[in-house]
Amino acid sequence: MATVVKKVRHRKILENIFGIPHFDLFAIISYVIPLAYIFIFLIVPLAEMLKIAFTYNGAFSLHWFKSIFSQEFYISPKPQGSLYVDTPQYIYVEGLDFGVILNSLIVAMFVTMLATLIGVTLAYVMYRYTFPGKGIFRVLLIVPLLMTPFVNAYVVKLIFRENGIFNWILHDLIGILPKPIRIDGLVGVMIAQAIAYYPIVYLNTYASFVNIDPSLEEQAENLGSRGFKLLRTITLPLALPGIAAGATLTFIFSLEDLGAPIAFHSASIAKKLITYQIYDKFLSETGYRSPEIAALAIILLALSLLAFALIRKYVSLRQYAMMSKGGRWYIRTVKPKWWQYVIIYTIVLPLVLFTITPQIGVILLAFSKEWSRTPYPRGFTLQHISQIALDPSVRRYVINSITYAFTAILIIVVISVMASYVSNRFRGVLSPIVEALTVFPLAVPGIVIAIGYFYFFASITPKNSILNPLSVSFNPGPILIIAYSIRRMPFTARSIYAGIQQVHASLEEAAMNLGSTRWKAVMGILVPLIAMNVLGGAMLSFVYAMSETSVSITIGSLEMSKAPMTAYMRDLIVSAAGSAHMAAALGFILIVVQISAIILSTVITKQRYAFIGIT
Amino acid sequence: MVTVRIDGVVKRFGEIVALKGVSLEIKHGELFTLLGPSGCGKTTLLRIIAGLEYPDEGRVYFDGSDVTDLKTYERGAVLVFQNYALWPHMTVYENIAYGLKIRKVPRDEIKERVKRALELVKLEGYEDRYPTQLSGGQQQRVALARALAVQPKLLLLDEPLSNLDAKLRIEMRSEIRRIQRELDITVIYVTHDQEEAMALSDRVAVMNFGVIEQVGTPREIYQRPKTKFVADFMGKNNILPAKILEIKNGRATLEVLGHRISGIPAENILGDYSDLYFSIRPEKVSLTPFEGAQAFEGRVDLVEYYGFFVEIVIKIKDVFFFVRVPDLKEPLKQGDNVKVYFNPQDVILLQE
Repeated sequence: MATVVKKVRHRKILENIFGIPHFDLFAIISYVIPLAYIFIFLIVPLAEMLKIAFTYNGAFSLHWFKSIFSQEFYISPKPQGSLYVDTPQYIYVEGLDFGVILNSLIVAMFVTMLATLIGVTLAYVMYRYTFPGKGIFRVLLIVPLLMTPFVNAYVVKLIFRENGIFNWILHDLIGILPKPIRIDGLVGVMIAQAIAYYPIVYLNTYASFVNIDPSLEEQAENLGSRGFKLLRTITLPLALPGIAAGATLTFIFSLEDLGAPIAFHSASIAKKLITYQIYDKFLSETGYRSPEIAALAIILLALSLLAFALIRKYVSLRQYAMMSKGGRWYIRTVKPKWWQYVIIYTIVLPLVLFTITPQIGVILLAFSKEWSRTPYPRGFTLQHISQIALDPSVRRYVINSITYAFTAILIIVVISVMASYVSNRFRGVLSPIVEALTVFPLAVPGIVIAIGYFYFFASITPKNSILNPLSVSFNPGPILIIAYSIRRMPFTARSIYAGIQQVHASLEEAAMNLGSTRWKAVMGILVPLIAMNVLGGAMLSFVYAMSETSVSITIGSLEMSKAPMTAYMRDLIVSAAGSAHMAAALGFILIVVQISAIILSTVITKQRYAFIGIT
Repeated sequence: MVTVRIDGVVKRFGEIVALKGVSLEIKHGELFTLLGPSGCGKTTLLRIIAGLEYPDEGRVYFDGSDVTDLKTYERGAVLVFQNYALWPHMTVYENIAYGLKIRKVPRDEIKERVKRALELVKLEGYEDRYPTQLSGGQQQRVALARALAVQPKLLLLDEPLSNLDAKLRIEMRSEIRRIQRELDITVIYVTHDQEEAMALSDRVAVMNFGVIEQVGTPREIYQRPKTKFVADFMGKNNILPAKILEIKNGRATLEVLGHRISGIPAENILGDYSDLYFSIRPEKVSLTPFEGAQAFEGRVDLVEYYGFFVEIVIKIKDVFFFVRVPDLKEPLKQGDNVKVYFNPQDVILLQE
C-alpha cells in the first residue's frame, strides 16, 4: 500500500514539474539540457555582473548606481550643445547632449517612431494596394534587411557629408536647400538605425495585416465604414500587436546597437551612448573588473528587459488572429485612387529607394578606389574583393566567422528542438520557463553579454587556460561560439516552435500507441515534419551570427588572429579613410551570404524569408 | 422593408462559374432561404446582394431601383457572417455601437439602441465583455444584435447557426424567426441544412451548381420536388430509375424493379422522358396492405429505432429501400421477408 501511494505521489510530482505522465528519460533530458545551457551561459554571467555592480568595499551597495545617476556625464536634463551649428559652408546637425543614459533613450525613441512610421506606411501600401511596379517594391524592400555592420552606417555618414550625395542632389542639383546640411553625431546614428531597423516593423506589421480575417473588414464596410475610418477603427487596431512587437524590437535593437555609434565616432557626441561607453571602458580597462561598467551594463539590460516584458505581456493579451477562422481567406487589395498613385510614386518610392542607399553604398564602396571628396565613388576595382580571397591574413577572418557561426548553429538546432518540443508538448511548471528562456536572449543587449562573459570566464577558468580572456594564450573561438549560440537562438527556437505547433501531438501519440518510444516518435515523425522550420530558422540564425558585432569586437578582438570578420571590419572602419573600402568588401561578402540564405530558404522551404518576428 | 430582385446574375471565379444566370424575386417581410450543398453558389449570391462581390452579368434591384454598382457601405443590406466577424479589439457594446456611430446616431440614442438590441437577443448585461470571453452561441447573438442595431432594410444571414451545437441551433432558429416577425424585416438566409430551411422559411430556393433548381414554400418543395436533385436533397427519399411504358390522361404506367405500376400522376412530365425516376417518401410506404395499394417484395436489412418512428432498410433486388413507420407491432429481424405497400398517387416522377 505504502509503496503504491508513494509511486502515485512521485508520478504526480513528475506531472507537475515536467508535465509528463510517467518517467521518461528522453523528455527529462530535453528539459534539462536547454535549461542547463541557457542557465550557465546566460543567467550565471548576468548574475556575476549583477554581483559586481552591487558590491562596494566588499558589501552590498547601490554605490555605483548612485554614482552614475549623479554624474552629469550620464544624465543631464539640461541639454548641452545646440541643435545645429551654422558654419559658413554648411549647417552642421549632430543633436543635443542629454547625458549618456538619456541620449540612448532619446535616440531609441526617435528611431522607434521613425521606423514605425515608415514600416507601417509601407506595410499598409503593400497590403492594401495593387499598382504597377509592386513586384519591384517587394524586391526593393528585401534590400534594407541585408546587414553590413559598421559599413552601412558609415555609408549614411558619407551620404550626409557636406559634399555627400544628399547635398549634391538637394543643394547643388535641385537647389531646394539654400545651404548644404551635414548630418552627423546622434542624428546620424538615428537615421542610420531607423533605416536599418524599419524592416522589422514593416515585416511584423505586414504579417499582422495579412493575418486579419477579411470578414472583419468586410463586416465594417457592410455596416457603412470606409476609407480612413475603416483603417483607424478596424485595420490598424487589429494589426496593433504586430506593430507593437516590431516597434519594441526596434527600440531594443537601437538601444543595444554598437555599429552606428562606432561608425559615427568621429563626432564625439556619438560616443555618448550607453553601448559605446561600456565598449570604450572595456577597451581601456581590460583586465580589470570595473563595477562601473557592470552597473552601466545592468542599466542597459534593465531598459531593454522592461521594453521586452511590456511587449510580451501586451502581445499575449491580444491574440486576435486565432479567434475567427473559416470563411474565405484572401487578401483584400484595391486599386489606388489617383491621388494615392501620386503618393505611392512620389513619396513612398523615393523613401524606399532612400532606405536602400546604405546597401548600394556598401557595394559601391567595395568596388571603388576612392570616395572621400566626391558625392559618388570613383575608380572601379576588384582589388578589395580579391584581397579577401587571396590574402590569408584577411581570408582567415571570413573563415573564422563561418566556422564559429556554423558550430553555433549546430548547438542552436539541438537545444531549440529539445526546448521547443518540451515547451510545446508538455504542460508542466517548467514548460513555460523553457519557452521563455529560449526567447529571452533577444532582450539582452550584446554588449551586456560580452561584459558578462568576460567576467564569467575570467573568474571560472584557470589563469593560463585558453578560455581565460586574461590569459596570454587566450583563444576567443569557443566563447564566441557560445555567445553566438545564445544570442541567435531565439530565431531558430521560434521557427521550430511554430513548426511544432502546426503538427498535432496525436501524430506522435499514434506512433507511441503503436509501440514506438518517444525518442523514435520525435525523431521519426515530428522532426521530418518540421525539417523546413529547422532549416529556415537555422539559416536565419546563421546569417545573424555571421554579422554579430558586440561580442565579436570585444572578446573577439582580444586575439586578432582568431577574430571574426566583424572585429576586423571594426578595425578597418575606425582607421584611416581608405580602409573603409576593405570593410565594405567584407560587408559585400556578408550580403552575398545573406542573399544566398534568402534564395535558399525561398527555393527549398517555399516560405517567405521572415526575418524577425516576435510572438 | 424591401423587395429584392435578382436578374440573370452570373459570377465567375477564374475557371469556375459560381452562378450561372440566377433570377429571383424576394417579397416584403419575407424570410427567404437559399438552400444548397457547399459550393452551390448560395454564399456568393448572398455576398452579391450584400455588395461584397460584384456580378459579371445581371443586375440586383432593391425596391425596384438598381443597386448593382453600389458599394457595400452604400446599400444598407446588413450581413451576419458565418464566422460572426466580431471585432476582437472591441467590447460587445463597441461592436454593436459601431454601425450606429458610422451613421452618426446621437450618443444617447446609441446607448438606447444597443440596449434594445441586446434585449432582443437576450444578452443584457454583456456590454463590457470582449468577444473572446463569450461562448459560440453568445458570439452569434452579438453578431445578430450588431446587425439589428442599425435597423437594416434587409438582413442577410450566412449560415449563422452552422457553428453551434444541435440544441442551441434549434433554439436560435426560433429566436431568429421571432425577431424577424417582431421587427417585420426582409431576411435572406443561407444554409445547407434542409431541416433548418424548412423549419424557418417562408420560401426556399434550392440551389445546385450555380443554378436555382426550385423556388417555393417548404411544403411545396418537400411534397412536389421538381427535380431529382431537389427530391434527394430535401429529406430522405427512395429514388429509383424507371422506364415509362405509357402515359394516358395524365397517368403513367411504368416499369420499376421489375414491377408494372400504373396510375402514377404524370402531369408534370414534359417532352422527352427517357431518363426518368420513380420516387416515394419513406413515410408514404406501409408494411400493411390497404385498398388500392401496390407492393414490392424484399428482405429486411437493417432496423433503426428513432423513438418517434422506426426506419427499416429493405433490400429489394439490389437496391436499398427505406420505410418509415410510427412503430412496429411485431419486431422485425434482419433477413425477414416483407412486403412494402404504397399508393401510386403518392409516387412522384422526376426528371434529371
